Amino acid sequence: MAKILDQVAENPFRFHECFLMSMPLGKKVANLRELLEGLREIDESVLFYHLIQSRLALGQPAVEYPNDFALWAANALQDSKLAEKLSSFDPFEYQNLGLVRQAVVDVLEEYLWDLPFVPWARPGFEFHFCQASAVVMHSLIAAQTLKEFCAALTQVGLDSIYYHFFEARWRLGELKSDDFSYWIETNFELPELVKAIRDVDIYFYSLKELRETLLGLIHQHLGELCDHPR
Amino acid sequence: MITLDDYAPIVGEEVVGQLHRLAEHLQGRRFVHINSTAVGGGVAEILSWAVPLLNQLGLKTTWEVIMGDPAFFEVTKAFHNGLQGFKVNLTPAMLEHYRQVNLENARRFSWEADVVLVHDPQPASLIEVLRPQARRWVWRCHIDASRPHLAVWRFLREIVKQYDASVFSMSQFAQNLPHPQYLIRPSIDPLSEKNRDLTEEEIKAVLHRLEIEKDKPLILQVSRFDSFKDPVGVIQAFRLVRRHTPCKLVLAGGGATDDPEGPEILAQVQEAAQGEPDIQVLLLPPDAHHEVNALQRAADVIVQKSTREGFGLTVTEAMWKGKPVIGGAVGGIVLQLRDYQTGFLVHSPEGCAFRIRYLLHRPEMARRMGQMAREFVRTHFLITRHIRDYLTLMILQDNPNSRLIEL
Repeated sequence: MAKILDQVAENPFRFHECFLMSMPLGKKVANLRELLEGLREIDESVLFYHLIQSRLALGQPAVEYPNDFALWAANALQDSKLAEKLSSFDPFEYQNLGLVRQAVVDVLEEYLWDLPFVPWARPGFEFHFCQASAVVMHSLIAAQTLKEFCAALTQVGLDSIYYHFFEARWRLGELKSDDFSYWIETNFELPELVKAIRDVDIYFYSLKELRETLLGLIHQHLGELCDHPR
Repeated sequence: MITLDDYAPIVGEEVVGQLHRLAEHLQGRRFVHINSTAVGGGVAEILSWAVPLLNQLGLKTTWEVIMGDPAFFEVTKAFHNGLQGFKVNLTPAMLEHYRQVNLENARRFSWEADVVLVHDPQPASLIEVLRPQARRWVWRCHIDASRPHLAVWRFLREIVKQYDASVFSMSQFAQNLPHPQYLIRPSIDPLSEKNRDLTEEEIKAVLHRLEIEKDKPLILQVSRFDSFKDPVGVIQAFRLVRRHTPCKLVLAGGGATDDPEGPEILAQVQEAAQGEPDIQVLLLPPDAHHEVNALQRAADVIVQKSTREGFGLTVTEAMWKGKPVIGGAVGGIVLQLRDYQTGFLVHSPEGCAFRIRYLLHRPEMARRMGQMAREFVRTHFLITRHIRDYLTLMILQDNPNSRLIEL
């Protein structure tokens, strides 16, 4: 296995850095019906922010709910049932953001349909729509071998992990793929490792944990020689 | 002199390296900050460390302070209170005076800038005179403007609309404005005199000097004497705790030159604390950073029972020192404290008292919360993240209509 760690890839992996700047729209909704109407109209970038990007903007120490909508249902509407439904919703099951939007709208519409009242947020807990602008930059960190890749994973910021592991899914147009597994797939004969990385249940890890999980998987598949996480 | 590299052991070398790489795209840019006080309050503190670091990174950064008479600061305090939701009366004469003072300040400003960041309402109307002196004007609101008083916002909105962008601390504070709005969370400097590590001897020396005997658990609130910080509510909470558990309370605060209400609120606090030897009210000078640091490190529980709060840097400072913090469930405090994880949020003196008792009786839980709080601050609320946001904001100002910029 040591050999494959030093095998030189045809194309080196070049890490990018991603600087997100959250941009509130100054628009808020106070109840579930308004959220539903809002979701039908907002830009896809707003949906993407609340489902995926907000975890980079301010990751909480322990994620009770994986996206902003579920968090809002729990904290503002104090509706645990809805929070559970919105938590189990997985945006990566869909091919594009249009379909993701339709799926969230369906969840909310069905939920509201059966309710005799419209749940309102506690005052001061309205849902505030946001999007983000991103500045993406070459990090000057690159890896030609898996050994260098492991070392680089511990050097790059968490925003790089976000960019290559989350943002990549929409960029590549393949929601089950990501930059890391794509690079390994196209440069090395390691289908089991590729599958293991793609099978990571990403919703349950912080970016820091994801970094360690990736290193752990490479370590597990290739033996002792991969650089250990700090 | 502190350099950026000095932060690497705290935040990691990769974080500092990123700042250098980002700044390479902004070499020589002129970045001007304008606020209304050189000392006292969170804005002045942030600028005092941000400006030298931005210069080290190769941006030509300067900090200008506007001057005003007491009547001007009465008006701007009314703006501040109005943005935080208080009903205030603004007469046409007051608004005229506000504009006049800004005009006088504008006459002595000769700087030119690529980006100018105007902090809070006090200097906001400078744009009406100085617009050609900067390529991009950005208004930075540090205040909890989640429910502003309409008359105040209506007046300020006409000024803010002239800016190219605005920056708020939380999305809840953002407004319906015709330009891009950004979120930048405030931050603390872990190497500053207020936050650097202290030895036990240094802490003891400060307690001795301030005549605080540490014979009982110490509850602390550090903040300006301002009604929105609810110091009287803290005293109420303390009296409730004292029925069950021995402890003492220290309320420590300074003033800011742009806050004329301080003495009045201080008098109310002194009256509420009268006859209670276990309450000490300390009026500290605005540069008493070393003393605040020592007090925070000596405290067992730290309280920030605000009823409105733009962000609450004293909460961040206390969390960084690994202390359990109880904060009012308002404004930016909500971002920082999560019940049973990084602290406690409360809504009343009774709730505050209950959480103080909880933490005094469960020191192990208090210790664990403090540790989690420190790590949360390390990731999100230290100066390096703030500098990174400033740099990103500058790059975005070069490309205002683009959501994705590849360098």
